[in-house]
Amino acid sequence: MFAQFFGAFLLNNKLVSPETLAQAIDDKKNTRMRLGVLAINAGLMTAEQVEHVNVAQQSVDKRFGDLCVDLGYLTADDVDRLLSEQPTDYLLLGQTLVNNGSLSNAEFEAAISAYKAQYQLSDDDISNNQNDKLSAIVKDFYHFNTAENARIYTEYVTLLFKNLIRFIGDDFTPIESSLAKEAEGQYIVCQKLHGKYTAELAIASPRDEYLAFAERFAKEHFTEVDEYVNEVVGEFLNVNNGLFVVNESNQLGIELSLDPQSYYRDTSVGFTQKAFCIPVAFGFGEVEFFISII
Amino acid sequence: MDFKDIKILLCDDSMFARKKLGMFLSSLGIVNISEAADGEEAVVKYKENRPDLVFMDIVMPKLTGIEALKAIKEYDSTAKVVMASSVGTQSHLKQAIVLGAYDFVQKPIDDAQVEKIIRNAMK
Repeated sequence: MFAQFFGAFLLNNKLVSPETLAQAIDDKKNTRMRLGVLAINAGLMTAEQVEHVNVAQQSVDKRFGDLCVDLGYLTADDVDRLLSEQPTDYLLLGQTLVNNGSLSNAEFEAAISAYKAQYQLSDDDISNNQNDKLSAIVKDFYHFNTAENARIYTEYVTLLFKNLIRFIGDDFTPIESSLAKEAEGQYIVCQKLHGKYTAELAIASPRDEYLAFAERFAKEHFTEVDEYVNEVVGEFLNVNNGLFVVNESNQLGIELSLDPQSYYRDTSVGFTQKAFCIPVAFGFGEVEFFISII
Repeated sequence: MDFKDIKILLCDDSMFARKKLGMFLSSLGIVNISEAADGEEAVVKYKENRPDLVFMDIVMPKLTGIEALKAIKEYDSTAKVVMASSVGTQSHLKQAIVLGAYDFVQKPIDDAQVEKIIRNAMK
């Protein structure tokens, strides 16, 4: 999830355009990490030093790592360690943007440093996918700390993003939220959970995005939105909400019940209290998620 | 008992959930599969078909899975009903165990777990 929020960070700071980011997200699966970006990320080299080695490499027939050692920027152990580490997803995204010229090494260095500072992230947090750090990013990104029921919003959205990665795909970027009295959309699925508190939850999107979302979850091909496609999207919402209910029960002893989902077309559905509208930009388009806790 | 001889009833209001589990059961060679889209229909289909094993969702219209489990166990105390739900909370588990559920599967359903449950039920 750190990669998705790194993408959002780049977008919000206007370091890349939405189109460039979408292309890089698509391309990153074919990207191989380079030592320079790994060394910058680890704070072992500056972008300037990486550029120096790049220039030096043009006149010497040596590998990048060996040159770094010769020039005293890295030790042989540093090189071995950096190359043996499994690259994290956000680094692959950064490397892709450096490779296609969207970011220079210096811009990457500044961006990664600002991103880590903003969310107080260490490399260990990222490589271990620390849950408390993921929740902290979600809380900060959506400004949930100012909302009543901040904990519930944060836990719910953190779980939602994990399930999007698990069931739909990791090729998405979270977009800034807004407050909405109602969900509007060509297709809307709603589900309510109630108990100690009530949550009104919904997914809304235009037709093509709705179909694409359903295709990803069902791993089937669809051409028209019918009852079955509605139920596929509804099942995603149900599975996500069910897992949330289980977490609330297991971790806090809060017992909640789920209502069956309801489906709407070409209309708007009002919430009892204003909902957070959370748009998520996938490779196939944008889908909106609504959460209102009462 | 062999996979081709076992009778299974799938109860879920989601056509997608029924299809997905049904496809997995078919891939095991299970051919005798019936379906119900709500709790009420689940009880009717149970009485009609007397399946060897039932997979029952909890959140369903008309009768919930828990209510349907109760009705089925009242009709046939030997019924093997597996609760297959997205809401595997402690209270649901307790309710299901008290009412005599055979097992519990958390959605998204893990195929390997389902296969293990069926094999155990066939013993």
